[in-house]
Amino acid sequence: MFNWLLEQALGFLPVWIWPATAGAGTVVYFFSHILATFPNFKPYTAFIKPVAFITILVGVFMYGGAGVTEILQAQIKEQEAKIAVAQQASSDANTAVQTKIVTHTKVIHDTQVVYQEKIKEVEKKIDADCKVDPEAITILNGAAKNPLGATK
Amino acid sequence: MKKLLVISLIVLLNGCSSVTGPKMTMTWPDTPPDLKTACPDLAQVDPNTTKLSDALGVITSNYSQYYLCKDKVDNWLDWYNTQQKIYNSVK
Repeated sequence: MFNWLLEQALGFLPVWIWPATAGAGTVVYFFSHILATFPNFKPYTAFIKPVAFITILVGVFMYGGAGVTEILQAQIKEQEAKIAVAQQASSDANTAVQTKIVTHTKVIHDTQVVYQEKIKEVEKKIDADCKVDPEAITILNGAAKNPLGATK
Repeated sequence: MKKLLVISLIVLLNGCSSVTGPKMTMTWPDTPPDLKTACPDLAQVDPNTTKLSDALGVITSNYSQYYLCKDKVDNWLDWYNTQQKIYNSVK
């Protein structure tokens, strides 16, 4: 939660603010050296110097962080674009398979219908010429049975 | 002293580099519904029939059943390999 709040707060700040902070820290740090030459201001510089130094560190650190964030965001955008392309390709592949299945199923069914019609045409002739022994049917049905049991 | 300054500057400029970008991958697509159904068992000839035409009808129907099932398996393999290739391309 704290990280999220921090990210949101930092996200509103422009990136240039960090080098500016570091720059300002540097200027103040050197200025404090000049101030130290004046005896009246010398005691203050003992406080100004570390504060300026810390300001420089914070500025440089945050500028580095902003740069890294920028790189990561670019990587995320690149990955998002890649994923969008892949999702589209995946969806297209699904559609292609569906279309292929429908076409193939129709061809197989149509072929089946043709052969069933052919059987009907010669039905009387072949039934008159040949009677199938029930033993043959038993063998045929036995062979057609799934040896692994019924399919679920 | 200079080296120390350069090293600390590099460390500082790394900023929040310990934060990694989110791992993003695509979701695995749903299998087309036609490929989700199991192949049925082969049809049986009426055991009381003596007609060759009846037996022939069931046999040809079973042949077509086999081709439908073969097509399903072939398409399933094709679908899986294609999707895996796409999925691996964004890993």
